[in-house]
Amino acid sequence: MRLLLVEDELDIQGFLKRSLEEAGYQVEAAADGKTAERLAINGAFDILIVDLGLPDQDGITLILRLRELGVRAPVLILSARRSVDDRVRGLEQGGDDYLTKPFAMAELLARLRNLLKRKNPSGNEATRLRVLDLELDLLRREASRSGQLLQLTPQEFVLLEYFCRNAGRVVTRSMILDQVWGMRIHPDTNVVDVHIYRLRGKVDSNGQQPLIRTLRGVGYVLKDR
Amino acid sequence: MSLRTGNPKLRSAAWRISLWATLAFAFGTMLVFVFLQRFVENDIKRRSDAWLSGEVEVLGNVAERTPKNALYGRVVREVAELAGREVPNKLPSDSESNNSVFFLQRGHDDSLQLWVGAGSGEDTLRAILTSRMLPDQPTDVRVKGFAVPFRVACIRIDDGSQIYLGLSERDELRVLNSLRIRFLLLWLLIVFFGFAIVFSTTKRMLSHVRKITEAASRIGHSDLNTRVPTTQRNDEVAQLGLTLNRMLDRIENSMHQLHTITDSLAHDLRSPLTAMRGKLEMSLSATSHGDQAEPIVSAIEELDRLTEFLNQSLDVAESKADALRLTRTPINLNELIRVMIELYEPSMAEKGLQIHFHTPNSATIEADAALVHRMVANLFDNELKHLPAGCTVAIRIQTEDDSVSLIFEDNGPGFSPEVLPLLFDGRVKGRGSDGHGLGLAFIDAVARAHDGTVTAANPETGGAQVTVTLPLVSSENIVSFNAVHAAN
Repeated sequence: MRLLLVEDELDIQGFLKRSLEEAGYQVEAAADGKTAERLAINGAFDILIVDLGLPDQDGITLILRLRELGVRAPVLILSARRSVDDRVRGLEQGGDDYLTKPFAMAELLARLRNLLKRKNPSGNEATRLRVLDLELDLLRREASRSGQLLQLTPQEFVLLEYFCRNAGRVVTRSMILDQVWGMRIHPDTNVVDVHIYRLRGKVDSNGQQPLIRTLRGVGYVLKDR
Repeated sequence: MSLRTGNPKLRSAAWRISLWATLAFAFGTMLVFVFLQRFVENDIKRRSDAWLSGEVEVLGNVAERTPKNALYGRVVREVAELAGREVPNKLPSDSESNNSVFFLQRGHDDSLQLWVGAGSGEDTLRAILTSRMLPDQPTDVRVKGFAVPFRVACIRIDDGSQIYLGLSERDELRVLNSLRIRFLLLWLLIVFFGFAIVFSTTKRMLSHVRKITEAASRIGHSDLNTRVPTTQRNDEVAQLGLTLNRMLDRIENSMHQLHTITDSLAHDLRSPLTAMRGKLEMSLSATSHGDQAEPIVSAIEELDRLTEFLNQSLDVAESKADALRLTRTPINLNELIRVMIELYEPSMAEKGLQIHFHTPNSATIEADAALVHRMVANLFDNELKHLPAGCTVAIRIQTEDDSVSLIFEDNGPGFSPEVLPLLFDGRVKGRGSDGHGLGLAFIDAVARAHDGTVTAANPETGGAQVTVTLPLVSSENIVSFNAVHAAN
């Protein structure tokens, strides 16, 4: 996957480039709009990350210019601004996405995956999900581990489904709140942790190998190996 | 709008101004007309008196010089009738039956010697005898059978008899009456036109003021793009509009500056936070030992709290300046509370708290979803953090005519009385709270941005109560709201 990273703050550009490369992307970086334009036209990129505050031009102007020049790759917009610009909303509706700074790396990676998936839909959706010995029937809304049916509430099933779809990848509390409860909130209480704790009590019960791991300060991961 | 209530015509300033102006104008013109009429009346009287005095002298001369024979009566009568035809102010139609003038000669024994005029003259003589007459000074005499008094002049001739010449004031009064009627009609016309002109002028002027008021009231909290209408004329109203617009320019400018400041503050703080968080995450992934990871983890958590604090502080600051930017969408409050309870119930149960949710009917508000979600989450967080185990939180949604109240009640210890009045200032923290004390200030900020209110109280029955009241959107409004958006 070829990725163009347009970010003028070299500090941020540096760690983003390394993290993205670790995640398996081929990253080219640009620090201003001119360079970005040149790179985007010459190299065929699968996805772009564009910061809104560039030194020579506005990030949105750059994106619109690239679209005019025939660049079709989806864009993840990074913004340190307070309010979400209406024009960003417009781009969001056009298939692009935005993320406000600061963000968790896991969330950035998840959003990139979503953008790429939207670009190349994998066709027919699976009706069953399987992670190690954990199995989910999406039609009957039933989950079982090692053949034993788990007694889950509908909410817990949605949470587990989200984990299974992102098996092996880190999910943050914000991502869980956004994807499972549909809210971009940041409670300063342990609401999400208690849900995970309860789910773990049902999934990882009676001495089985624990599947849901807590990565403190980062989030959670469902083991797939 | 309040201008539209009651009877709008009678309440409008145009009506009052023109009413008072017309009253003053009518009074003034009435005074002028009364004065004019007095003048005309006096002039007419003076002219008829002069005529009477002249004629009575002529008649006296004639009576003196004419020998007192059989012809005397005829000659004097002839002369008197001639004089009667030259009566001033006389209407021509009255020439046939001339009863507006009489000639009377009174003997020294108060007998009627000669009478020229309508009727026998006895009544007139009696009236003259009962009234005090001054020589050379015409006097008013009321005669039985005549509605209008006579103006009578008298002269004494050599033979001791007296000659009276009387002129009815009827014609004089008729002239004055017709003058009065004309004056009155003219006055009514002038007053009516005066009122119409004043009313239409002030109305036009004030309708402009009303347009300015309406435009100004449309200018909402952070929507400062609208301007009041202005005109080409350079009068006071136009200047009012121009001044308002200049004021709005300045407010918009400072609002824009505030946004620029908060934006750049957010940007300048967020960029280093992003870099820090990213580096910490990278070093965390490189660290495998648990005891080395611990400080990094707590640093990341501190950073996330700092970010949330920054966001809420800026929201509270912008809301206090009425500058919070909103993107409104319809939100079903019941559905939102239901989802939030699902989210918070496990944590509450973990702490030994119970939640009750009661709502009779569904309520939909038109609000900024992100802000309202965070506001409601703050309400739950607040209960979760401060309530001791074993307590119950009761959540109610109450709909009024045009507003909806979201009420959080608990049976805990309640707010401590000394912080109760300061709760929404953003500087108060509960004892032992690890939050930043902005929770309730943020709730207040969001409610204010949506034209709503928040109240906190310790009810009589115990515990604490927080009530958020927001304007309600009825189902028709949602339809029109969607229609407007579809049209855009």
